Amino acid sequence: MSINLSRRNFTLGLGAGVALGALGGMAPARAAASGQVVVGTWGGDYLNLLQKYVADPLMTPKSVEVVFDTASDTVRKTKLMAERQLPRGSMDIACLSASGSFEMFKNGALLELDPAKIPNLKYVQEKLRTKWSVPHIYSGRVILYNPSKVKTAPTSYADLWNPAYAGKVGVIDIQYQTTIESAALINGGGMSNYEPGKEKLLELKKMGVKVYPTNEAMADALKTEEVWMCIMWKARGIMWQNAGIPIEIANPKEGVALYISDMSIAKNARNKEAAYAWMNAILDPSPQREFAKAMGYNPTVENADVPAELQGRIAFSKDIQDKYLVADQEYLAKTDASLQDWWTKVFKA
Amino acid sequence: MTIQRRRVAGLLLLPASLVVVAFLALPLVLLLRYSLNRFVPGQFMVEALTLENYAKFWTDPFYFAVLRTTLMMSGGVTLLCLALAFPVALFLARTTTRHKSLLLMAVVLPLFVGNAVRAAGWMVAFGHKGIVNWLLEAVLGGAPIDIMYTPTAVVIGILSVNMPYAVLTLQSVLEGIDRAAEEAAISLGATPFAAWRLVTLPLATPGVLAAGVLCFILAMNAYATPILLGGPRFQMMAPLVANQILQQANWPFGAAVSFVLIAVTLVLTAAANLSLGRRAA
Repeated sequence: MSINLSRRNFTLGLGAGVALGALGGMAPARAAASGQVVVGTWGGDYLNLLQKYVADPLMTPKSVEVVFDTASDTVRKTKLMAERQLPRGSMDIACLSASGSFEMFKNGALLELDPAKIPNLKYVQEKLRTKWSVPHIYSGRVILYNPSKVKTAPTSYADLWNPAYAGKVGVIDIQYQTTIESAALINGGGMSNYEPGKEKLLELKKMGVKVYPTNEAMADALKTEEVWMCIMWKARGIMWQNAGIPIEIANPKEGVALYISDMSIAKNARNKEAAYAWMNAILDPSPQREFAKAMGYNPTVENADVPAELQGRIAFSKDIQDKYLVADQEYLAKTDASLQDWWTKVFKA
Repeated sequence: MTIQRRRVAGLLLLPASLVVVAFLALPLVLLLRYSLNRFVPGQFMVEALTLENYAKFWTDPFYFAVLRTTLMMSGGVTLLCLALAFPVALFLARTTTRHKSLLLMAVVLPLFVGNAVRAAGWMVAFGHKGIVNWLLEAVLGGAPIDIMYTPTAVVIGILSVNMPYAVLTLQSVLEGIDRAAEEAAISLGATPFAAWRLVTLPLATPGVLAAGVLCFILAMNAYATPILLGGPRFQMMAPLVANQILQQANWPFGAAVSFVLIAVTLVLTAAANLSLGRRAA
């Protein structure tokens, strides 16, 4: 309840500030942000980096107190859906994947953004933008392989089906969607038709594919050479290389599919001005650069000025960039539940 | 007991009863209501009054198989746990060593560590290059085996969680059994095994029943151990509930699975109590 009270005070204060500004003949183009902003996010490194490079240096000086609400994105989506009829929700900002924010916007839980309130948006690459979200970081899907075991660098997802590597290929449980998609790409399917991937994956199952519960379990399996090859985001591959895991990164010729982690403002956000200030801050060159350094993700803005050596490792060539594969969110929203069902009941069974 | 005393006792019970109602019964009622709602992908939970979630559970062979796995795992682990815990408990009850409290402490010590942490320890031991495979390869000269993400790993994991409970429950009952009864049987010509089977075991039945029920309930609801040691392909009921609610956002079905789990556990526990309890009486 103390939050409500301070919010009320804040609103009063904000009103007074605007009035004073106007009196002084300096009416701002938009209301200055202050007060508290609640950011629903993942925990771990991601949270620590948001605190260190966005909240502390960019929001605190503006007198905006950032409160993090950590949970998985499914929990966050559930919260947004449960609260969407309320006039004031408990979250101002929701960190989601691109498919998550699409789904939430379709359900009327997210605000349609006003680009004028996010000046840094002009630096964001066009293909990453949507009207309901600001892309925070992105990476592309690649093949990771152990060069001492896999002598010829893979060039296609089809190389995971090479009988020479039977039983030495791993997939990750929580990445069911992208795994089915990758299999579909080499079996006549595409970004809007994952069905052919199912049959292909059953072949891989017969070949003794190993299923790991999490990315971390996969990292461990690669480290101990229990498996030699997997499908993964390039950013993770770079993090794992930095951690001394013996892997190389190969781009599949089918195209590099994008993973975009984005942020949106809840339609019933309590402090929309501070939320816009937060959205602008995450696109600032400094945190964008620091996320690239720490996590190996690509900045979504063009002015991040990432050191050349790191840029060489994380960036994709111009050819690949031109052929980036972008998920068909409309298709995924309709089929995700059935894909997950198939994965659990047929593929993993 | 006078009426007034009884009234005071009733009043004293009130705060605890209110806490139980508020924190246990009400959420359960809410969950029961959710289990009758409908799940529409992308729309979270839609208000309804339907039994389709329960029908889905009982008609889909996949979910039934998950329940069967859970029951077999819990039953197997319970029997194994009792078989292993009984000799330990008997030893602890009968020993006259002055280090008895230290021995009891050694049994209780694993409970100081959370289930997830303990499972993480097993993960290190069972890994591809873990201690077990190292022993197999380097010491015994064998080939490495896959233990992680197998039902065997889950059995060992749950067993290690449940053993202290079973030992302590059995030990407290065995302490109360007069040793003279067993000695009388032996003095009348019974072998030590016959004396154990015909005298000690029947007298210890309430303890065996209590330890068994405790073990069974813990295994039926095991979450961290099957997730961490069983891996993605090994399915048990509690992880299924968590997956439906946390990963798929399907609260109605997750709630229905919870109630199936609660009901099956309650029915089986009551049945065991009735049949074994009657035999013991």
